[in-house]
Amino acid sequence: MAPPPALAIKASAAYKKKDGALSITSDQKALQWLPLGAQGLGKAVTIAVANITNLQQTPESAAKVMLKVFDKSPDAAEPVTHLFHFNSPSNPRGEANSVKDVLTSLITATKANDVGVGKANGAGGASAAMAIASAVASKQGSGSARWYDDNALKVDIELQQSLMKKDPALHRTYMEARRTKPDSTSDSQFNSQFWSTRTSVLRAHAVDINQKKGAYNVLSAVKPRQVGGELKMNISAEQVQLIFSQHPLVKRVYDENVPKLNETEFWSRFFLSRLFKKLKGERVSEEDGTDPTFDRYLDASNDTSLSPTLLGLHIPNTINLEGNEENQGGMSRGNRADFTMRPGSAAKVPIVRTLNSLSEKLMAHVAPSDIDPAAPIGMDEETFNALALRDLQGDPEENRIMLNIKEQSRFFANEKSTASAESALYSKQVPSQVQSALRADIDSTGMGDHAGGAFDLGSAIGVLEESDSEEEEGEKQPHVGSKASIAQAQKQILEGIKARRMEIDGSDAQSSLCGLSQKIFDRLTLTHATTTEFLHHFWVIFLSGDADRAGELERVVETLERAMDRINSVAADAEKEKEEVILKQKQHIRDVWEKTGKKTHWNSNSVGGGEKIVKEMMEPTIRTLQTATREYRKALSAEGIDAS
Amino acid sequence: MDSVDATEHYDTTIQGVPPSLLVIVLDTNPHAWALLSPTLPLSKAIANILVFINAHLAANHANQVAVVASHCHRAVWLYPRAPSSSEDVEMTDQTPPDLNDANKYRPFALIEDSLLASLRDLIATTTEDDIATTNTTQMAGALTLALSYINRATVNFSDADSSSKTASTAIENPENTSSLQSRILVVSVSGDLAHQYIPIMNTTFAAQRLRVPIDILKLAGDTVFLQQASDTTKGIYMQLSNPQGLLQYLMMAFLPDQTSRKHLVPPTQQVVDFRAACFCHRRVVDVGFVCSICLSIFCSPPEGAICLTCSTHLALGDYGAKPAVVARKKKKKRRINGAMETPSGSATPAPVE
Repeated sequence: MAPPPALAIKASAAYKKKDGALSITSDQKALQWLPLGAQGLGKAVTIAVANITNLQQTPESAAKVMLKVFDKSPDAAEPVTHLFHFNSPSNPRGEANSVKDVLTSLITATKANDVGVGKANGAGGASAAMAIASAVASKQGSGSARWYDDNALKVDIELQQSLMKKDPALHRTYMEARRTKPDSTSDSQFNSQFWSTRTSVLRAHAVDINQKKGAYNVLSAVKPRQVGGELKMNISAEQVQLIFSQHPLVKRVYDENVPKLNETEFWSRFFLSRLFKKLKGERVSEEDGTDPTFDRYLDASNDTSLSPTLLGLHIPNTINLEGNEENQGGMSRGNRADFTMRPGSAAKVPIVRTLNSLSEKLMAHVAPSDIDPAAPIGMDEETFNALALRDLQGDPEENRIMLNIKEQSRFFANEKSTASAESALYSKQVPSQVQSALRADIDSTGMGDHAGGAFDLGSAIGVLEESDSEEEEGEKQPHVGSKASIAQAQKQILEGIKARRMEIDGSDAQSSLCGLSQKIFDRLTLTHATTTEFLHHFWVIFLSGDADRAGELERVVETLERAMDRINSVAADAEKEKEEVILKQKQHIRDVWEKTGKKTHWNSNSVGGGEKIVKEMMEPTIRTLQTATREYRKALSAEGIDAS
Repeated sequence: MDSVDATEHYDTTIQGVPPSLLVIVLDTNPHAWALLSPTLPLSKAIANILVFINAHLAANHANQVAVVASHCHRAVWLYPRAPSSSEDVEMTDQTPPDLNDANKYRPFALIEDSLLASLRDLIATTTEDDIATTNTTQMAGALTLALSYINRATVNFSDADSSSKTASTAIENPENTSSLQSRILVVSVSGDLAHQYIPIMNTTFAAQRLRVPIDILKLAGDTVFLQQASDTTKGIYMQLSNPQGLLQYLMMAFLPDQTSRKHLVPPTQQVVDFRAACFCHRRVVDVGFVCSICLSIFCSPPEGAICLTCSTHLALGDYGAKPAVVARKKKKKRRINGAMETPSGSATPAPVE
């Protein structure tokens, strides 16, 4: 990340509508803009690189090439922005990029020297993200940095392709949307539009494919099969490599024996030998066949390569058990260590020991991801904090963000501006009448007077078992508990139960298609997905308030109009399909009638599908389309342009 | 040792149907009942509810019931009656009702008498002024009373239940099938509860945590939040198309307790209006603005982009910027109700873009 040697970086750029030249001074400490011609020399702009907190550039697809520089001198509170418009006739984008690249690396270099600057910049979320990205980039190289950069993700076609390969549904949507996009939108514009809403998916995929599989316990992965007394196995060259690196002993045995034995014989005998069992951690039993070649090595050490790496590790004293041993002065007292932890022969618990030592070896090969190799050796603050005995410290100070809640009733109680329909009705009533009516109702004889005590519930609920016939009901004023009202109540409850049952049981695949064929239904699903995609673009652009995108917006609106056509065409096809089914059925009935003379009653309404179903399914989408176009027209007419 | 001392059989609890507690919240908003009285007078509704209560009590000898009135200015216990001085006054006022009526099961008569007496009391003490000053009902207060009663009843029950478990565990594990099964039935007549949005939602979430279903029986009016209350607590919501068939609704839809409901298909109306009321003007909003710090909801950006609740300075992003067609500044763009693809035709307020 060292700044490149002083190249003559120079680009023609306009600043405050004046043509000029933008360059980086030869000492690489400042960005300089000099106006063209002699008359404006006094207006030259010089920005110290150390003061630049942020850079912003117009996207690659934009026609205008501009670079925004945020300049914050140490004593100023707010950054000052400078906007340079690259207007070179031949290659503005190239010039802008070269200036930006050099500036970026200069800034990174400056920040690496002074970490505090990165944290202090308060120019908003974008610059904070940039600071993080650059901090990460400077640490781990530029490889992982692109996961954090939305723009890099958006233009990484290879990544997008591999993602679509993994997700066929996304691929279909992409192809369909691309096929039906307006002609005026270029492929690259469409691409960036499409992926701009899916950067998170792309990022997840990028992280996903960049993960590597580490080493594994290779001996247990090789599974030799015994076929007719002969040993069959497949080991790849890669596995052989792994065996050698994990078990140096095998390498030694191989070295010493292979010219004598032939290769295949060596491996097949090895996998049968006691040595193999021992290395794998299995118990060697008496029945296992002996093999003088391999049995010679049974007692040899397998751990030659490990010790140097372990010794090289710096272990903090607080967790160094060997250090404790020393401090005790060789007087080991108290509980003995667990038998798996005691030094001694490997014969006792071979499996535990083998697995432990193997894991140690595997981990030793993995480059630690959480340690900065450049960090000074010794205990850093983080390690110290991790090792500190927190239980012995006092309660930590509460570190919470204060939320100041104001008295809510203040803005609840006073306002009565929004009266609902009900409260409007209530307010029309005269309170005194309400009161007397209620009292009369409650004190009425039906409720049982004070003296009589008993309240005849039977008559109060109004269910009259004998006299209520349906005919009478029509004439009388329906009363509480009448048969008609109870029947209606029952109907409503049963309807509710039916609806719920449908929901709980779910509808089977056939009925969820509503009579459409699977083919039409798939087309419909795809049409829906693309329409939603375009709607999304529409709202993003429409609400962006960016006047530069007005042209883009117009094209998207065209697409929306065509989306309606596409829905209609699916509906027409569905209708055609339905008619075919009806025709076929009618033909069948006629055939049956001609053959047997039997008439079959059949109602063509029983055939599902058709235009109506399609329209029903797409109704919400159609409404959103209409809303979008309406809003667009409204905005147009507000501006005084006739929409048609 | 445990197996020989023969105390084992004391520990085995009877594995029957657990008793249930039904708390009825009766909306007694005088305005609403006056409007409803041509179709269903309060007295008839009370009679129907009494029959329902009797049915509930008859289902299990240990079943309990409680009734709270959500009146215009306060929430009042109807049954059990609050031990107050009014009882003494009553004694002097009127002859004690004859509870030894041979035609009535005594427990039913007790409840009926107590409920009617307190209701008469409540209506008698409601002044014209009370009715004139408000047209809403104290639903949130009544629900709070109901929940605290359920809490007490659950603690009492598990104490009395002799087993070793402590009261606190009984409340925290309402799944425990042997504990008291409580539910709330709200008989609601008035609409427009928007000003009580926050307290109602708070009680709703408390009920959800205690696994107390809130059933809603809507006789008139429409309230968004009661619908949400029943949906959140997995209760039954029914808006009666015909209030005169009240008894049928009560007996068919609301009688089963939680134990039986596990095996039944509830007749609840499935379309739930999930809209919320804004904190600034109490409007029910489709699309609103949400404070990213305290989640307060506003129908329009608060003044100076400062959250009314937590005073956080909010950034609005470029939302509401003028549309890209270079038009005049628009106040706000919102997708209308129909633009949402949820079956209910509306959605929860989306966060500000």
